[in-house]
Amino acid sequence: MKKIFPRLFLFALLPMFIACDHINEDEQLIEVETAIPGPEAAPDEKPTATARTVRTVLLEDFTGQRCVNCPKGTKIIEQLQDTYEDRFIAVGIYWEPKPITNGLANELGTEYYNHWELNYQPVGLINRGGAVNYTDWAKEVREGLGFLSEIKMELKATLKGDNIEIIVREESYANYSGKLQVWVIEDGIIATQLMPDAPDENPEWTGGSKADYVHNHVLRAAVNGPWGEDFSIAMDEQKTQTMTQAVDAKWNTDNLSVVAFVYNDDGVEQAVKSKVEKK
Amino acid sequence: MKRYILSLTAFCCCLTLLAQQKDVTFSGSIQSDILIPESDKAIGAEKKEDLLTNTYADLQMQSQYIDAGARLEYLEHPLPGFENDFKGWGVPNFWVKGKLDKAELTLGTFYEQFGSGFILRTYEERSLGIDNSLLGGRLTVKPLKGVTLKLLSGKQRCYWEWNNSLVSGADAEIALDEWIGSLEKNGTRLTLGGSWVNKYEKDEEIIVPSNIAYRYNLPKFVNACDVRANLNKGPWSILMEYAQKTQDPSLDNAFNYDNGHIAMLSGSYSEKGLSILLQAKRSENMSFRSKRNMMGTSSFINHLPAFTLDHTYALAALYPYATQLAAGEWAYQTEMGYNFKRKTALGGRYGMNVKLNYSYVRSIQSAWLKWGGQTYYQDLNVQLSRKFTKVFKLNLMYMNQRYNQTVIEGHGDMIHSNIFVADGKYQFSPQTILRAEAQYLTTKQDEGDWAFGLLELSLVPHWMITVSDMWNCGETDTHYYQGLITYNTGAHRIQAGYGRTSAGYNCSGGVCRYVPATKGFSISYNYNF
Repeated sequence: MKKIFPRLFLFALLPMFIACDHINEDEQLIEVETAIPGPEAAPDEKPTATARTVRTVLLEDFTGQRCVNCPKGTKIIEQLQDTYEDRFIAVGIYWEPKPITNGLANELGTEYYNHWELNYQPVGLINRGGAVNYTDWAKEVREGLGFLSEIKMELKATLKGDNIEIIVREESYANYSGKLQVWVIEDGIIATQLMPDAPDENPEWTGGSKADYVHNHVLRAAVNGPWGEDFSIAMDEQKTQTMTQAVDAKWNTDNLSVVAFVYNDDGVEQAVKSKVEKK
Repeated sequence: MKRYILSLTAFCCCLTLLAQQKDVTFSGSIQSDILIPESDKAIGAEKKEDLLTNTYADLQMQSQYIDAGARLEYLEHPLPGFENDFKGWGVPNFWVKGKLDKAELTLGTFYEQFGSGFILRTYEERSLGIDNSLLGGRLTVKPLKGVTLKLLSGKQRCYWEWNNSLVSGADAEIALDEWIGSLEKNGTRLTLGGSWVNKYEKDEEIIVPSNIAYRYNLPKFVNACDVRANLNKGPWSILMEYAQKTQDPSLDNAFNYDNGHIAMLSGSYSEKGLSILLQAKRSENMSFRSKRNMMGTSSFINHLPAFTLDHTYALAALYPYATQLAAGEWAYQTEMGYNFKRKTALGGRYGMNVKLNYSYVRSIQSAWLKWGGQTYYQDLNVQLSRKFTKVFKLNLMYMNQRYNQTVIEGHGDMIHSNIFVADGKYQFSPQTILRAEAQYLTTKQDEGDWAFGLLELSLVPHWMITVSDMWNCGETDTHYYQGLITYNTGAHRIQAGYGRTSAGYNCSGGVCRYVPATKGFSISYNYNF
């Protein structure tokens, strides 16, 4: 019995000496499919009980001006927007552990960050399916685009004086019950951003923030409250909502857009985005 | 879940067998920290739940051939600042250990450290919410005099689950002085050690952030090895250790395919009244986790010891250093302690102790011996401890600190601070002792100056009453007041208090956790048996 343990010990050591990987520099990346997977319904297909429409993916990007890795997340978002165009909508929700004077974070962002019990940034909610690391965004968005939706949405946003008039239309292929949420977002905001450290690429990097960083798709306001309004629609029914949002003096009306989406406990069913047009 | 239940069932069977043995002894402990929180806008404290608690109960049984243990954790409503996945309750730690003459076999969860922990250290640090134990098996054998061999394999705990990857390792340590007679005769002890750790983690699709048309080709196996030598002779001691890790692209190192390295040299001299310590360390790309796509403090397989002092005075600990595992660092530390003898000019009637500590941490370059462009941390502190009369003792400390908040916390600037501490203890009677602290931190950066005062009355052997206030007099004019009453009896200790705590980093050994500001009633209970 006393000899069994040492023998077992030596035997168990063996696999450790043969288990080794080395990946050469030219083999470190593998090409992936970026095309939208799965069946697609034609966008203009007439609603029927059996037909469904394509689903737009909404990414809620929880970000911050003091978050060093957040520009990496933004880089992914830019590529997703280039690849999937209007099938993909990103909204930057800013949160800071300590407020920044004239920063982009607001109470709305804090409410969402706390509600979703997030621990760090950048992290995203993709169609409100749970927190996803930024390194997984591209994969999850591609998968999300493969699903069809029960609801088709249209959105029109027009600047009238100091207000944005918003018209949302829904058309349903099935009975649905949840919430309708409408947000105002802004592109092209120039503000400070802490940039990521990369000592391997730039050993002389001195750290610090970039004062003229361009922040896009920044969440500015929730038009119909932080959690939206009750929404239910029957099969083959069409609905229209009209809302008004006052323009804040800080906003640049040339760069505003409106995002509307319907969601329930199963996640976001459909989302739509429209630039705010000037009359 | 099924595996969890099976493991627990097996564990209970072992306990039943064990309980039937003669000469079984039981030991254990209970630790419960409770906070009844209140909202306080002035400090940003939020009440989200009525009662928060981190509660642990440990039970161990020992016998001649078999030991066993388990720990119940109730963290369903945890104290503020812990990651959300930390929530839960259950028995995540359970183990049975079989002991023969020269061998021990542990099945279940266990903690282990190879050398200084460069390639493997699993441990529990409750204040930081860290428990990275392994669930599996460990064999320890002492086949020859002075030789210890360890072999282990298991899955690592990640909050309330175990990561899918498999961590395996082996360690050998040889005390050469037990083999070479001349070394033993000279009073020289020489220990050589070598370790190997292997992580197997399945491939997964992680997209390249700069180009979403590509994913990373990830290595399934990551190997790390460590060699070390420890020489002791009389008051002298030298420890040399080097470790290397193969390609391990992860979220921590921004999916870098370079190997990781760490080298450490530590020398010390210690005799009555004098001690000197000199240490240097260079690490690069040594973040080693059992889950490559993980953030936060969980799932670390290794631990790099900090070469900075863990301060206990409140203001000295306000800006604590966190080891930069992935980015790497050059770290140096020197410490000198000297006792001025009694009845000398400097020592006075009762003697005086002086301690000087200097830590310096800097960024690296790819060229091994070159420094990088940034200072991460610097701490120069002098402590004097002197007993003036039979009943009065005074400690004084001065500390000069540079803290690179951008690198350590991800925001802010280089904080340069000077800290002054006076800590006096007066004994009114053998049962009544009063201790007072006065501290001041001055800096032009971050939130500016801070002041701290504390009074602590000990009524030996049962009671201790403490009141303190930490005041930000530089920017916010906020007071963080606190009152605590502690009662000790036998193996029980209970503490009740009320007050505010400031937001900040709680660190231990270079690992840090952000704790938000809190206010409320706190109760803490500890029991060991």
